[in-house]
Amino acid sequence: MGQYILRRLALMIPVAFLVTIIVFTLVRLTPGDPVLVYAGEERDPETLEQLRHEYGLDQPMPLQYVSWLTHAVQGDLGRSIRTRQPVTEAIFERLPATMELGLAALLISVTIALVVGTLSAVKRNSPLDLLATGFTLAGVSLPNFFLGLILILVFALALRLLPPGGYTPLKDDVLDNLEHLILPAITLATASLAVNMRQVRSSMLEVLSQEYMRTARAKGLRERTLILRHAFKNALIPVVTIVGLQVGAIIEGAVITEQVYFWPGVGKLVVDSIAGRDYPVVQGVVLVSAFSFMLSTLIVDVLYGVLDPRISYGSRGG
Amino acid sequence: MSRLVRAIALITVIAVVAACSGPSPSGGGATGSPGAAAKPQYGGSIVFALEDDPIDFDPLRSRAFIDRNVHYQIYDSLVRIDETGKIIPWLAEKWDIPADGKTVTFTLRTDVKYHDGSAFDAASVKWNIDRYRTAQGSARSGELAPVESVEVVDSKTVKFNLKTPFSPLLSLLVDRAGMMVSQKAAEAGGQDFTRKAFKAGTGPFMLTEAVKDDHITLEKNPAYWGKDKNGNGLPFLDKITIKPIRSSDVRFTNLRTGDAQVANNIAGKDIPTIKGESGLNYQEKPAYSFRSLIPNRAKGFVFEEAKYVKAVSTAIDRKELLEKGYFNLGVAGYSTIAPNHFAFDASFKPFEKADPEAAKKLVSDVGKGPLTFTLLVSSGDPVILQIAQLIQAQLKKADITANIQQLEFAQILDQQSKKTFKDLSFVGWSGRVDPDGNTYDHIYSGRPFNDSSYSNKQVDSLLDQARQTPDEAKRRDLYRQAEKIYVQDDPARIWLGYGAAQLATSKKVVAPPVYPDQIVRFQFMSMAK
Repeated sequence: MGQYILRRLALMIPVAFLVTIIVFTLVRLTPGDPVLVYAGEERDPETLEQLRHEYGLDQPMPLQYVSWLTHAVQGDLGRSIRTRQPVTEAIFERLPATMELGLAALLISVTIALVVGTLSAVKRNSPLDLLATGFTLAGVSLPNFFLGLILILVFALALRLLPPGGYTPLKDDVLDNLEHLILPAITLATASLAVNMRQVRSSMLEVLSQEYMRTARAKGLRERTLILRHAFKNALIPVVTIVGLQVGAIIEGAVITEQVYFWPGVGKLVVDSIAGRDYPVVQGVVLVSAFSFMLSTLIVDVLYGVLDPRISYGSRGG
Repeated sequence: MSRLVRAIALITVIAVVAACSGPSPSGGGATGSPGAAAKPQYGGSIVFALEDDPIDFDPLRSRAFIDRNVHYQIYDSLVRIDETGKIIPWLAEKWDIPADGKTVTFTLRTDVKYHDGSAFDAASVKWNIDRYRTAQGSARSGELAPVESVEVVDSKTVKFNLKTPFSPLLSLLVDRAGMMVSQKAAEAGGQDFTRKAFKAGTGPFMLTEAVKDDHITLEKNPAYWGKDKNGNGLPFLDKITIKPIRSSDVRFTNLRTGDAQVANNIAGKDIPTIKGESGLNYQEKPAYSFRSLIPNRAKGFVFEEAKYVKAVSTAIDRKELLEKGYFNLGVAGYSTIAPNHFAFDASFKPFEKADPEAAKKLVSDVGKGPLTFTLLVSSGDPVILQIAQLIQAQLKKADITANIQQLEFAQILDQQSKKTFKDLSFVGWSGRVDPDGNTYDHIYSGRPFNDSSYSNKQVDSLLDQARQTPDEAKRRDLYRQAEKIYVQDDPARIWLGYGAAQLATSKKVVAPPVYPDQIVRFQFMSMAK
């Protein structure tokens, strides 16, 4: 297992290298001049040239890439063109907010999905199942920005129960932090909740129809033991895959929700940076995001082995 | 007898009105607030919902309008404007411009210190202006290009030597080019100064915290030199928290829920609601900003033909655009010179009524068949798209076909700057204090914002003269002559109107007046009693 993990970690390097080449090329192929966007209403041609030189944008693209990569492997992802903030600082300053929002949303999503998805499968075609299916459809269909605005209108404006947006760091005030977290976390959780609930339900239905379940039932096992001890664990494998991917996608998953609730996370950073053609920031965020995705898939693969002992990571299995 | 009673009543009314009247600018730069009592309440904190996150706190690097919302609170300029747009003394108590207009000598206040305790004097002014003129990547170097050198005459007198007479100089010193930064703070901050300009100005508030995309904290400068017209020390508030909120819906909601007490840039659709809310106040006046359509008049493009530009201008119903597109936010207009500019001509209304028939004739005079072109609009902005669709419908009445194409703002900007855009693009301008700032770079041959590739020697000459003549009356005439050409006879663009300076506040605060530059003057704001 240890060897397997090491090998997977080593494989991340060439993947990350490929990712950097693709992102570096793509952001530069996108029409638009970062200096011109940054210049805004001050477009003195001499100054624009100075800025292009300062950021190395007057160099040929391969040279720009080599220079960026040389710094990147030393942990220096450059400085933002718009704000001059070091990119690593910009990302890590915002990461706690994004992680908090993403994990809270996942927690809501996974908990409800497991409970309701299992109940829907066990009580198939019951009113609860129909309600859950209806919610799934609505959850998938409602775009985040729309749901966000509706929640703000109802809970912030009409009922005045929760703040309409903003962020208080957890270390400053726990209660205030949670108050600000509720609406964005619900908004972000809704779409993944729908997917997860559906996945739990169908996976559970499949397991429930297996022969070993029939055998267990025939042996006279109680229904609760049957579901919780025999069916649940086996039904979890596909769910873990999907949730694992969702964990990996936390950074980019919250882009829209962060905009609606002005939640100061990485999502907001990347949206601004793409619009402003802030190459170093876009490259930095994509790189960090790619690593987080690769790490989460590795964790998912390791979890498979824990959930199903038949899956092993021997020298031939990897 | 009845005459006596009337006279007494009149005197009483005048006295009451005078007691309750709005502010009058004072040399020290202090004004009161409308309806404010003589002794406003000191203390209190407010939240300001701002339309975007400021980028550069250092005026040297700042290029975005949004930055100025912070700059005006933490820095003072050599001169400022009052709420009518008149240039008034600020850090400079007075100035002298000789008849040849080649120098400007400022006499500075002597009671001013930077937030970090360092002295504000003539040497500090010289350091700041030289820094703006010569530092690598300075966004101010173009504005200050007419300045040859800055001389320290004595500790409170500083002289600007100009390459040629340059009348708009004072108006530039109102804003970032005239903002004074502590040398000590800037040098200590180094590369990070523009993000962490803590205690770096002389302004009414000090920047004490800045968390990107989250909030900015400004705290009262207890040693501020400014006073209001009643002699009360400024500012009144203890603390301002600025929260960047990009969605106008969410900004407005924050104001309504009491999570913010001040908000800017309220969408036109929300103005009737805001006016109807008992807990909110709303003020508005015409701003210096203008709205225009930029035709690509370069060779080989449709609008190389001036008659086509004029045809589009003639076919557009600006009144309808203002009512239905902008929800009456701002005013209809035709030129670069805005209602608050000294050169504004209220009688200049060349396209007051849309005339589709006259537009048809202009197109047929060209003799190349019907006019069809592409109208570029920035994607992701439903309001702009609706306005473009309204324009499209208006032009249809004159048998002109505008095909709307949505592109990312960065792409439009790129194409405009390369002069390759097809064919008409829709980009606004935030406006400048002097008509020169709204006109020269947009109209004069080869200048940076002349995206339409417009070139008219007579207009160039008139604009040059207006820069060099110190006499305001003469400048007014020159701008009016020029605008007749670049708007009407040989149109450079199609102007649609002027924007609005807005201020939406909770009734929990006493709001200052609105300024045409759209920046809130928080030093005059206090909590309501």
